[in-house]
Amino acid sequence: MTPQDAHPISSRGSGAEQIPTRMPTANRPQNAGKTVNGDTSRLESVAKVTGAAKYGRDMQAPGMVWVRGIRCPWGNARLIGHDADAAKAVPGVVDVVVTGDTGEYNGDAVGYLLAENKLALSRGLRALRARWERLPCRTGIDAREAVLSVSDKAENALLFADHVLEAEYSTPVQTHSALETHGMMIDHQGDAAVVYASTQGTFAVADEIASFLSLPRNKFEVRCEHVGGGFGAKFQIGKEGAFAGNVASSLKRPVYSFCDRKEEHLDTGNRPSALVKVRVGFSKDGTVLGGQIGVWGGVGVATRGGDAAIPSGRYEFGVIERSMTNVSFNGGAPRAMRAPGHPQGAFAEELMLDEIATIAGVDPLELRIRLDKDETKARQAMYRLGAEMIGWKDRQPTGSQSGVVRRGFGVGSTSWRALRGPCDIEIAVHRDGSAELRTGTQDIGTGQRTACAVLAAERLSIPLELVSVAIGSSRLPNGPASGGSVTSPSSAPAVLAAAADAERQLMEIVAQQIGGAGTDYRLRNGKIVRGEEAVMGWNELCRRLPSESLVGRGTWDGRGSPYFQKGNSNGVQFVEVEVDSETGVVQVKRVIAFQACGRIICRKTAESQIIGGVIQGISYALFEDKLLDRQTGAMVNPNLEWYRILGANDMPTIEPVLWMDAEQTGVRGLGEPPVVPTAGAVAAAVFNAVGTPVRSLPIRPDRVLAAVEAAAVAGVAKGGAS
Amino acid sequence: MTPSQHDPVPPRTHGSDAVPGTPADRSAVGPRGVSRRSFISTLGASGAAAALGGQAEARLAAPIEDGPVVLGPEPVEVALTINGRAVKTKLDPATTLLDALRLNLQMTGSKEVCDRGSCGGCSVLVDGRLVASCMMLALDAVGHDITTIEGLAQGDTLDPIQEAFVRYDAFQCGFCTPGMIMACKALLNETPKPTMEQIRKGLSGNICRCGAYTNVFSAVLEASDQAVPVDQPVPADHTDGGGA
Ligand code: FES
Ligand code: FES
Repeated sequence: MTPQDAHPISSRGSGAEQIPTRMPTANRPQNAGKTVNGDTSRLESVAKVTGAAKYGRDMQAPGMVWVRGIRCPWGNARLIGHDADAAKAVPGVVDVVVTGDTGEYNGDAVGYLLAENKLALSRGLRALRARWERLPCRTGIDAREAVLSVSDKAENALLFADHVLEAEYSTPVQTHSALETHGMMIDHQGDAAVVYASTQGTFAVADEIASFLSLPRNKFEVRCEHVGGGFGAKFQIGKEGAFAGNVASSLKRPVYSFCDRKEEHLDTGNRPSALVKVRVGFSKDGTVLGGQIGVWGGVGVATRGGDAAIPSGRYEFGVIERSMTNVSFNGGAPRAMRAPGHPQGAFAEELMLDEIATIAGVDPLELRIRLDKDETKARQAMYRLGAEMIGWKDRQPTGSQSGVVRRGFGVGSTSWRALRGPCDIEIAVHRDGSAELRTGTQDIGTGQRTACAVLAAERLSIPLELVSVAIGSSRLPNGPASGGSVTSPSSAPAVLAAAADAERQLMEIVAQQIGGAGTDYRLRNGKIVRGEEAVMGWNELCRRLPSESLVGRGTWDGRGSPYFQKGNSNGVQFVEVEVDSETGVVQVKRVIAFQACGRIICRKTAESQIIGGVIQGISYALFEDKLLDRQTGAMVNPNLEWYRILGANDMPTIEPVLWMDAEQTGVRGLGEPPVVPTAGAVAAAVFNAVGTPVRSLPIRPDRVLAAVEAAAVAGVAKGGAS
Repeated sequence: MTPSQHDPVPPRTHGSDAVPGTPADRSAVGPRGVSRRSFISTLGASGAAAALGGQAEARLAAPIEDGPVVLGPEPVEVALTINGRAVKTKLDPATTLLDALRLNLQMTGSKEVCDRGSCGGCSVLVDGRLVASCMMLALDAVGHDITTIEGLAQGDTLDPIQEAFVRYDAFQCGFCTPGMIMACKALLNETPKPTMEQIRKGLSGNICRCGAYTNVFSAVLEASDQAVPVDQPVPADHTDGGGA
């Protein structure tokens, strides 16, 4: 059952009680309604609200053996002893496999333990009594070692500047914290296996696990019908997958290997920390002439992947000399995380712009309008409309407020290049009139399943109820991994091609039955028509299929489809905050998120992507921080109470505005773009409220209080001087 | 809803009192005082033994007066009442209610997310009140009415809150959803028409990483028959589809 009935659109309430909101109806792009049923609910909705949806973590098989890594508790340590016999003596423990003796970061694995059940797993690890000798460790970027080297190019740009801003912006390590942790259950039976993985890359997992399983590709299948979030961390099988593969192939029995919450924080990737140093010159009116920007990315034990996207390319910054250094330390390696590199870059860039504007005495929104390089002019329109919607005219000059509760406004921009990958789709039309769309790609919460069904139903011109989607299996047609916002733009052209192929074959059948050529007929509103005349109903045609089903195939190689369009997905976000200058607490009150989205397939899921991106951005701005103890290198908050994630009580009103440029007809993915500007806009708003920038994320109360204090001191100094 | 009824689900708050007192406290919720000891003494030996099932009877009968009861290490038989049905299973006495549901009874709707009371993903109702099932031993749930996500719909008819979740797209990946819905259910049971403040507070023990809160709030308003405010009009000259 999928309720299709239209629902009221909620919006911001007036008065004290702010109501969470969806996009104002009037702002909905007109053609979205034409393209699709804008109120389609997710196909898997009912399974998800009844608990029937089975995720990888929910899969079990009789005789299943449990696996958990033996992990280094310190930042850098040597395993000097353990008691394997004692561990094996614990009832239920199957085996202990120690493969190494050094851990280079907290969470690094030196082996694993196998047990018949979950309790034996933890009892066995306790009995193992792994003893470690701690070695010196390094836990992050040392700002003192990060020095901007002097360059002539930059110095020349600074020569003509009226002002030079020198600043240092830093962002923490953020963990993906998908609620379903990484891992897989391998149901190994005889000489075949089904791998139930929690992944955002079905085929990537198949490729990787194959070498561990030592089974030919036709003897195993990777499945992920439902996935509890990925956010970029679930492209690879990880150690948990490697252990599972090893065990399954050696014991030839089912294996359950999922990280617990702590392992998830420690060893399944993260958004790397960043230190951004800027030295930029600008003229009296805030025009940026150029300068130097240095990025240091904290990549844990990795050696690359730490870049932050600054300058983003969205603003005119003159001549910029840029350097980038990856800094390794004793911490887990990063993995792609929702717009990798971009939120950290945008945080520094947007706050820097507000600082420049404040020094120059110009409005930061006006400055952005002046510096923004967007040729499509979409962002220019968003700046203006957003200012009107959020009430930018009520914004007080930065540093001018002295009350306890101070209000701040901020703005930030985003763009995401349309990326794509090859994709195959099949649509089987059955004699009973139903159609099944098949794609091996996965739906990690993006709405991919629903989007495919909506497009297929639209192209075949049949009710959505007739279309089902088989998704998330390596036995189904090849599809992209869900990264870079490519899944829907890559699938859409293939869906359309498959539907067109099905239609062509069906019309041939019609022609055989009632004469003429296949090209004389086409599908419209559940009927077969010749010109304006209906000649047959959909169901009747399906009944007449020569065999049980007919399969339309669509392949897209990433080129030349009206449903894919190059260019950027532009966006602008406006943020309003309240800062309590006595407690240092920041409350984000309202966010208006404009997002160019191309052709909208499913309005609800598109809006959910934007709202979700904004929420992760606020959470990054205010709360999240993977903290490593400087002495021991151990993560001090490897859980969900001290690693804080935005909750219901922290929620602002969020208004997503789906934006369609007249010339954009391609399908866009909305995973990454909305998460880019939020933290920067929040930081700018806090600066506006307080008067001194908080240049480190998360914007914790202690940092806000320090800023309030600094502003007060500066105010006194200024007052004294005048 | 009286303030005291709020206690079971203290809000996530900002700043200095940020984290403590959040969901972890929910372990304290539910069948008050049902530590294994007091539960057994309340019921009396035979009652407890009956509740625990035949196997434990001999073990329990004797030592009740003069010392702690020792259960395990062998599995014990327990009888639980889940979604109105009596079910029996054999489990290690250290098994949490969550693991009993998921692993022993194959009811995997309730999710393990943090396994320590801080996310709400495993939320169930025990005698109508919200409990983090990862923080309660299965043995402590004996004799109480447990409602899980699997028990909300009546056949094909969804509970109003489930229906509202569907309509408002109150989830993306859906992994927090069973727990979130149980928290909504508990909130609506106690407060049929919650204010926004009460909704925020009532759901503050449940983490959604995908960020579906906005739509969850709307779903709660809808399920409690409350008017969802009308649209804020957009400046007139921008209603042509937003484009430039
Ligand atoms: S509260 Fe039980 S799993 Fe998080
Ligand atoms: S919907 Fe994914 S965590 Fe809530």
